[in-house]
Amino acid sequence: MRLLKSLFKSPFFVLGTSLFVLTLSFALLGPLFLNVDVNTRAGLAYMAPSARHWLGTDHMGVDMISMLISGLRSSLYVGFLAGSVATTLGTLIGLYGGYKGGLIDDVLTAGTNLFLVIPSLIVLILLSASIDNGRSLTLIALIIGCTTWTWSARAVRAQAASLRSRDHVALARINGYGTLGIVFLHVMPYLLSYIFMVFILQMAAGILSEASLSMLGLGPYDSVSLGKILNEAKTNEALTDGAWWAFAPAMVLITTVVFSLYIINTSLEGVFNPRLRK
Amino acid sequence: MSGPVFEVDDLRAHYLTRFGQKIQAVDGVSFSLKAGEILGIAGESGCGKTTLVSACMGLYIPPLHLSGGDVRIEGKSILGVNSETNRREVLGKKISMIPQGALNSLNPTRKVKDLASDMIRSHDEAKDKKALYARLRERFQKLGMPADEVLNAYPVELPAGMKQRVVIGISTLLDPRVVIADEPTSALDVSTQKSVIKLLFELMDQGIIGSMLFITHELPLLRHVANRIAVMYAGEFVELGTTEQVIFDPRQPYTKALMGSMLSAEPGHPGQKPVAIEGAPPNLAQPIQGCRFAQRCPTKQPDCTVNRQGLRVAFDRQVRCDHAR
Amino acid sequence: MLDNHPTLSHVVGRAGWYVLTFLVAITINFFLPRLGDANPVDTIMAKVTDGLDAASARAKEEAYLKEFNLVEVDDAGQVKRDAQGKPVRTSLGRQFINYLGMSLRGDLGSSILQHPKRVTDIIKAALPWTLALQLPTIVFGWLIGNGLGALAAYKRGVFDKLMYPLALLASAIPAFCFGMLLVYVLGIRLEWFPAVGGYDDGLTPGLSLAFLRSASYYYVLPFLSVFLIVVGGQAIGMRSMCIYELGTDYVKYAKLLGINESKILLYMFRNAMLPQLTGLALALGTMVGGALIAEMIFSYPGLGMAVLTAIQGNDYPLISGCTLLVTVSVLCANFSVDVLVGFLDPRIRAARQQGS
Repeated sequence: MRLLKSLFKSPFFVLGTSLFVLTLSFALLGPLFLNVDVNTRAGLAYMAPSARHWLGTDHMGVDMISMLISGLRSSLYVGFLAGSVATTLGTLIGLYGGYKGGLIDDVLTAGTNLFLVIPSLIVLILLSASIDNGRSLTLIALIIGCTTWTWSARAVRAQAASLRSRDHVALARINGYGTLGIVFLHVMPYLLSYIFMVFILQMAAGILSEASLSMLGLGPYDSVSLGKILNEAKTNEALTDGAWWAFAPAMVLITTVVFSLYIINTSLEGVFNPRLRK
Repeated sequence: MSGPVFEVDDLRAHYLTRFGQKIQAVDGVSFSLKAGEILGIAGESGCGKTTLVSACMGLYIPPLHLSGGDVRIEGKSILGVNSETNRREVLGKKISMIPQGALNSLNPTRKVKDLASDMIRSHDEAKDKKALYARLRERFQKLGMPADEVLNAYPVELPAGMKQRVVIGISTLLDPRVVIADEPTSALDVSTQKSVIKLLFELMDQGIIGSMLFITHELPLLRHVANRIAVMYAGEFVELGTTEQVIFDPRQPYTKALMGSMLSAEPGHPGQKPVAIEGAPPNLAQPIQGCRFAQRCPTKQPDCTVNRQGLRVAFDRQVRCDHAR
Repeated sequence: MLDNHPTLSHVVGRAGWYVLTFLVAITINFFLPRLGDANPVDTIMAKVTDGLDAASARAKEEAYLKEFNLVEVDDAGQVKRDAQGKPVRTSLGRQFINYLGMSLRGDLGSSILQHPKRVTDIIKAALPWTLALQLPTIVFGWLIGNGLGALAAYKRGVFDKLMYPLALLASAIPAFCFGMLLVYVLGIRLEWFPAVGGYDDGLTPGLSLAFLRSASYYYVLPFLSVFLIVVGGQAIGMRSMCIYELGTDYVKYAKLLGINESKILLYMFRNAMLPQLTGLALALGTMVGGALIAEMIFSYPGLGMAVLTAIQGNDYPLISGCTLLVTVSVLCANFSVDVLVGFLDPRIRAARQQGS
């Protein structure tokens, strides 16, 4: 609990968490208070903000706020799912390789580096383009998770490798614990804080990847996402029309979420890694 | 050269924390060294030894600040100059330090000769490359190292014992009058320890080193190294006397306790079991009333927590305890 | 022989690994776009079969199938037929082998959408634009970003407190968001710079002064949108590294020896640079991706735009060709950085020599 207290002392942590929680509540609680309806044309295309539509309407005449809330929910969902998948995959691979060392480690590391070096954007583009129909939000999240795990694998492996030589691990080995047992009971607990930090960054990366994909027109078919909002703004000339409400709020939302996650991560780093403290 | 080489006069230094707290880590330390003399400073971790090093060298980098006092080398004060002059004239030249943990003290991406050259060049002794290298070569050979091999190597390529010699070599390149050895042997095995100490003695004999301050928490070591020993506790000296006096006839309660906690049976202390000192050093951020060791002192008297103990001359040495026996 | 030359064996080892990576990449490149159902020839046929009777349509179809290596061809160049007289379709496996062979020879096939243009021609036209955007942004962005980070770590104080959140923000804004923002603010609202395209419509690409002037004018926004983000990301990383280096024992010792400030800064910089270089290898993929996205936003006539239009039109050969090129360049760049760091960092060299 002392940890939590020192966390709350850090201005970065407070700022980041508040921003994130704010955005999260907007997404989760918004529908309870505001009328979110992305299917009805509530007005004319690209109407400026008014009392009825606080942030105007999009190119189809749908209320912008509804679009934003819906899009935010999708983006957060994808970020969370993709982040979880990537972190889980990466952690498992990194833990196993890092702890085992030797040939297994070399093979896993070579494999990880392989996928690390191939630009993930390219793979994402190729994958999404080939799945023409049925590109659901979940599927996209899974794809993103499966292509961005390499970073966490590398990070976790480095930590696991350094723990390998610790005394309590050697003790566990002497006592006859199998590899799985050691990894889960003796190595992972020390890494939980680190894994959490990794998860936060993966989540941010997931949100960014999804937004990039949607931006390119490779986003989900059936749902609204923040990237898709931006894509539609671009293709429907919202920029040239000066309809800033069609893209600026979405941009702000994406940036805020990602930025808040980054800041949370920075503050966590400051607490868990005292060397960086001033 | 008559007169003391190194004089420290009521030196006080403090830290200013982020939250505005003032921690008086060195609180009135005084001593003087003659040429060829080795003063050992013993004490637990946290007693202020490390701060004393920076303070004696005039290296005050915030949050460390000079509170008061003076440090003189060969009669001339080294405090009160700006940091640039201090760097150029004092550090490494008049007074130099041999760090703890030499293994990490050498820049891993710099060859030994380059680091040594940097050091010499930083003190305005710019010479051409050849002359510089020749000088390094001569000095390193004098110190018993295969000069060409060592100079052209990266630190990572050298074994631990050699690294220690390199550090000693670099620290003494400019023939400093005072050398502060800060736990120079703590990470080494016994035989390497012996050779390092032998090397230091040789350097003193050859006049490359003027006088030495040997800081350690290993008391048995001081017996073979130091002429005099100062025992430090909570920022001040509690006893200062010759080696014989301090080790075999300690008077101050803390010194006694320290000697009693030694593990090896020294002649003169036959069959003594080690006794750990209970408690922990006081928090120097808070003002302390009376004697700083009072809380942990086995011979505590009622007035110990009230009266500030001053360093007085007794038993042919300096003792900080009114009740010392 | 390799045993006596640890450096050489290191380079050869890394090269071997990169070749392996290349093979995996090219496999991914081939199979992924073909996971979908669409038949490329059908797309072309849809455009071309107006006014043709069934027989000529079939003949044309076979001609296209032959061209795209989708049917088996005998030694005389005639399409092989099965028992019912229909052309024998090449299996996916054989297509892959053909693809490998063709790619290694530098032949990337014809584009479907822009038929009959060859993929290599399309790439050749787009490549200079992409290079012009990628190289300066990555190289200068890296250099300046690291410089700023080092400065912030050394100076601390106001500069650091200002720079750090800014850099963090810059690295958090997605490339396309920033791009769109720049387009809107500087391109449309303030009309300082053009919003789309690579050059004025009236001009033809060439080395004329007018063209170059126009191209540079159109260059600014895409450049900034990637450059600033790279700078932000690098600055953050370098700052952390430098702060770490400044706290090390060897810096403390150097200070105690009286070594002057500028030398110590050099130590810090050099030692922090090495992991940053390694990080560069890893980040290259992302940076390249970011620049490509910028192209797509600004309709900048580089590989990014080519890939985008290819995706939207299911133009497999073009998609594969472009992505292959990008992947190969990233691999090459990675390899160079790898070898470079191996040379520069004595710690790596020593580990190698000690027979790890």
